[in-house]
Amino acid sequence: MLQHDKPKIGVYICHCGMNIAPKVDVEEVVRYSQTLDHVAVARDYEFMCSNPGQELIVNDIKTYGLNRIVEASCSPRMHEATFQKACEQAGLNPYYLQMANIREQSSWVTLDTIEATAKAKDLVAAAVMRVVWHAPLETREVAVKKSVLIIGGGIAGMQAALTTAEAGFDVHLVEREPSIGGQMAKLDKTFPTLDCAACISTPKTVSIGQHPNITLYTYSEVTHVSGFVGNYEVTLRRKPRYVIEDKCTGCGDCTEVCPIGMVSTFDEGLSERKAVYRSFPQAVPATFCIDKKGTAPCKAACPAHVAVQGFIALIRAGKNRQALELFKQEHPFPGVCGRICHHPCESICSRGDTGGPLAIRSLHRFLADEDLYGESQYVPAVEEKREEKVAVVGAGPAGLTCAYFLAQKGYQATVFEKLPVAGGMMAVGIPEYRLPKDILEIEIETIEKMGVTIKTGVTFGTDITLNGMKNDGFKAAFLATGLHGSRKLGVEGEDLQGVLPGVAFLKDVALGKPPALGPKVVVVGGGNVAVDVALTAKRLGAEAVTMVCLESREEMPAWENEIEELLEEKVEIINCFGPNRFAGTGGIVSGIEFKRCTCVFDADGCFSPEYDPTELQVLPADTVIVAIGQTAVLDFAPAEDIPVEPHGGIEADPVTLQTSIPWVFAGGDAVYGPKSVVEAVACGKEAAESIHRFINDIDLTEGRSTEWTFSKPEITAVPPIARTAMKRLEPEKREGNFNEILLGFSQDQIAGEAGRCLNCGGCSECMQCVKACEVMAVDHDMQEEVLNLEIGALIIATGYKPFDPTPLEQYGYGRFTEVYTSMQFERLNNATGPTGGKIVMKNGRPPRRVAIIHCVGSRDLRHRKYCSRVCCMYSMKFAHLIREKTDAEVWEFYIDIRAPGKLYEEFYNRVQEEGVHFVRGKVAEVTDIPEDPADKGRLIVVAENTLTRRTLRMPVDMVILSVGLEPAEGSEEIGRITGVSRDQDGWFNELHAKLAPVSTPVRGIFLAGCCQGPKDIPDTVAQSLGAAGEAIALLSKGTVRTRAAISYIDPDLCAGCQSCIQICAYSAIHFDAAQSISKVNEALCQGCGSCSAVCPSSAAGVRHFTNRQVMGEIEALLW
Amino acid sequence: MTAFEPKIIALVCNWCAYTAADLAGTSRLSYPAHIRMIRMMCTGMIDSKYILKAFLDGADGVFVGGCHPGDCHYIDGNLKAKKRILGTGKILEQFGFEPERLRLRWIGASEGPEFQQNMTDFVTAIKTLGPGQTNNRMVL
Repeated sequence: MLQHDKPKIGVYICHCGMNIAPKVDVEEVVRYSQTLDHVAVARDYEFMCSNPGQELIVNDIKTYGLNRIVEASCSPRMHEATFQKACEQAGLNPYYLQMANIREQSSWVTLDTIEATAKAKDLVAAAVMRVVWHAPLETREVAVKKSVLIIGGGIAGMQAALTTAEAGFDVHLVEREPSIGGQMAKLDKTFPTLDCAACISTPKTVSIGQHPNITLYTYSEVTHVSGFVGNYEVTLRRKPRYVIEDKCTGCGDCTEVCPIGMVSTFDEGLSERKAVYRSFPQAVPATFCIDKKGTAPCKAACPAHVAVQGFIALIRAGKNRQALELFKQEHPFPGVCGRICHHPCESICSRGDTGGPLAIRSLHRFLADEDLYGESQYVPAVEEKREEKVAVVGAGPAGLTCAYFLAQKGYQATVFEKLPVAGGMMAVGIPEYRLPKDILEIEIETIEKMGVTIKTGVTFGTDITLNGMKNDGFKAAFLATGLHGSRKLGVEGEDLQGVLPGVAFLKDVALGKPPALGPKVVVVGGGNVAVDVALTAKRLGAEAVTMVCLESREEMPAWENEIEELLEEKVEIINCFGPNRFAGTGGIVSGIEFKRCTCVFDADGCFSPEYDPTELQVLPADTVIVAIGQTAVLDFAPAEDIPVEPHGGIEADPVTLQTSIPWVFAGGDAVYGPKSVVEAVACGKEAAESIHRFINDIDLTEGRSTEWTFSKPEITAVPPIARTAMKRLEPEKREGNFNEILLGFSQDQIAGEAGRCLNCGGCSECMQCVKACEVMAVDHDMQEEVLNLEIGALIIATGYKPFDPTPLEQYGYGRFTEVYTSMQFERLNNATGPTGGKIVMKNGRPPRRVAIIHCVGSRDLRHRKYCSRVCCMYSMKFAHLIREKTDAEVWEFYIDIRAPGKLYEEFYNRVQEEGVHFVRGKVAEVTDIPEDPADKGRLIVVAENTLTRRTLRMPVDMVILSVGLEPAEGSEEIGRITGVSRDQDGWFNELHAKLAPVSTPVRGIFLAGCCQGPKDIPDTVAQSLGAAGEAIALLSKGTVRTRAAISYIDPDLCAGCQSCIQICAYSAIHFDAAQSISKVNEALCQGCGSCSAVCPSSAAGVRHFTNRQVMGEIEALLW
Repeated sequence: MTAFEPKIIALVCNWCAYTAADLAGTSRLSYPAHIRMIRMMCTGMIDSKYILKAFLDGADGVFVGGCHPGDCHYIDGNLKAKKRILGTGKILEQFGFEPERLRLRWIGASEGPEFQQNMTDFVTAIKTLGPGQTNNRMVL
């Protein structure tokens, strides 16, 4: 390497034949260059890039001892490497070269010769000023990873994978869909030879699956690419397919039992497939895949997370028993909750916006009733019996549910109940006209059949104690004692005879000991309990029942349907009054005085009633029932040392339900206050889980607080179907009895109602596939997997998607059923397609005349201005196939026929000879309004024949839209991840349109197939082989040169401010605490120069783009 | 008096605007000869002092051409540049230059016609503004 102190520059001006010379006065530029400082030689030559041109430079360096070269010619992106090589040949460091781009920036873009020459002179001067400050730079050879990652498993990706794998490299093929094959797998025949697409592509897919050097990642996506040529680090996200690839044998038993039908995207929406599916029979891999769109809203909203969509799907499939089993997996009371649930599932149901929410509650009520009144009731399976005993205190929904789930795990659960009956509030709080006793009893009996012992009439704290339980060998206890006390008003006269607490009243009635009521009954309260108290009083024979509450009619906490029942049964409601005092004579209540309530809730929505004591109203009453809330009765707590919250509930961890006594857990209303049955069920289930973990020494908290998120489908196009109304007992038939009001659905009604389900979650998690799969390959809990790979080179082969013709409304796509896209027609014509390859209309009849409209979306300034290259040929292929398979006439409406490939023109001629009609002209419109009534029901193609200059209205039976090609969905994301830019249409940019068609500006990343622009299959395969060749050439050498133009930090100038560290996008700078300065990691630095721009002390800089070099250029340009 | 012929420096990113300029050249899309281009590896490496230097040395306008947001070859150098250029515009005002003399535009690698349009527009804008004059010299 020569070392020079004083710059000695050679300037070489290229004529580039006629490209630079006539516009730029080359001789003038040479003369001018010779006047510049440090310039020793200045010459011009016709083609500097030619061998003699380069030799000129080499000889001059040797002869004159030149130590800097300025080459004024084309863009450095074109020939910088050429001239750097020439410098090296002469022993000069290649970074002593600077190019002046006087072709692209001057001669080609400047109209005036004098201006072009002046600009060229400036550019040369700038290059001379810059090169003075150049320094020799060295690059290193680093080893490359001998592996190639290919994004996209279509024909392009498959071919590239096979070729690179054959060359001995490790190939990782990533495909977003569950199987490989891409768009070509959907095709039937291929033009112009009419080979069967499957016959020529399946050998490739099979080879991919079997090749020892290829690792296939289907249903996976690339999420991150970092590193540099030869040493990329790639992150993959493997989406869960919920079927284990190693186990699945591809037998298809799962699909047989799946009750969910979904639109087949593989068949372009022309057919349905199941939620567990495989796109086509020959798919590679043969593994099935479950299509989950997320948890359905109903399942997410249900506190017990019952697989609502699942049991509804099973009802639709006529599998009521399996539907009930599925329900009972999460919830022991389908019959009870089928009547009294507050159904958050219905409130969130997506059908709510289009016909009213599904009557979910009524559907599982039907299942339960059918089972309970059937011959043999379903009893959930119980695991092998275990030795451990668990005590449950309280036989309400929480306690019974806990026992139900413990019993399933084999534990011996004993439930202790204070009352003479089991069921808690379900038995003594809900009147029979809502929940008939036998329903509850049979559902509790089922729990007993599972091995749970229920002991009634046992009071915790007196009959049994925690110590006693411990001595009896109970390993854990669950306290779910509920809320069986009534809240008091705290006003004068509440102790008078004839004033009854609401909860106790309902309990007494339920237990068959109804208290005596006077003829005039006043109920205080506006909630559901108050409603039940009023309706019960009415049934017990009270003549007049008046309900008085603080809230206005709209604010009343009772449900709307229950308030309606009040009105139906002639209960008077007085709103906006609160009790002031009770009146009585001789210790017996005679009436109650109310004051006007002006406001119930404060600004924050909290209960804080305000009264107007001047407005009073007195109601005479023989009996007053106060139903204003429930309280916990925790007499046992102090003696048993059970901690109680200030608000009066038992204190327990909100997630694990553990109390301060480790083996004692607590839940249900006694812990969290008054809530519904389904919430108690959810709580009891959690308690069982906690107790199971506690007994087996498993961490109580790990993985417990699951966030339930859900997705709702787009329902704008879903026609509304009204919710099925349930028959109710007429009000007059309710008098004096406790017969159930809601009469349930019939089998027909539940089928209709289940049919309204929109399948929000895709897969309904009905678990039928799990049961059907003999090799146990289905795993509904499969999680997403993230993989990191070390990769030498990448090939992008993401392909295309067909243009969506919906915006071209004039062609009626989406409006007329017989208007197809070309890809739909491919499926229609395919042996594995929706019609088994028969070309028939939706009514099953073959068409008599078919119109094919070319250039839909292509060559259209409003949509895609480019030609999609394949449409003419495939349109003519369609014409041939229609002629071959049917007797239909085919009319092709084209702008120009483009058939520029091997045997393509011949195919065009052949199709013409087959009697296909060609009309040159763009179709104006497709309509269903005929001029001739005989054509009613057909489609009319309105077009102009530009050759005959006549307009025509052509009645046809089928219209095929030859849609163009667009970049595949997600191309933008791949571009961002890989750093490969895309053109204005979204196709990936090649490095050079002619000479580097498969390379990209990012070294080590190549392009194959349609991701770079529309192509047919032969071109795609050729380009894939090219990309594979480039990748092989790059990696075969084993090493690459690192970049030399990277950052440096001058240790003498660095102040250690670390601004550079913060701005570096590659974490390529670290702080050396010992020296208090920042340092560049040369392996990571990409040379972007962000650090140099922020460095306040100019310590950071980029080699080959130093301040001196850039400033020199600026100075020279502004002379 | 001769017409005002502005001197304009364009600092352009190698990966996008420079490539677009090459494309404009290949496609023979002519634009005014007042533009003098300097190739940078990324707009993120454009130091404010390059811009100040250009103005103080007599440039009438400075154009910065970078990649569209999201397309940066170096992740987000273009966005870093955007912030810096905004700040530099404020400094320019203190030197007596109109901030409109500094213009940042995103031009993709395949946008040759857009490059031509941008150059033409900027030259027109600078011609309208007239020669750039400073009231506060300093040496960079």
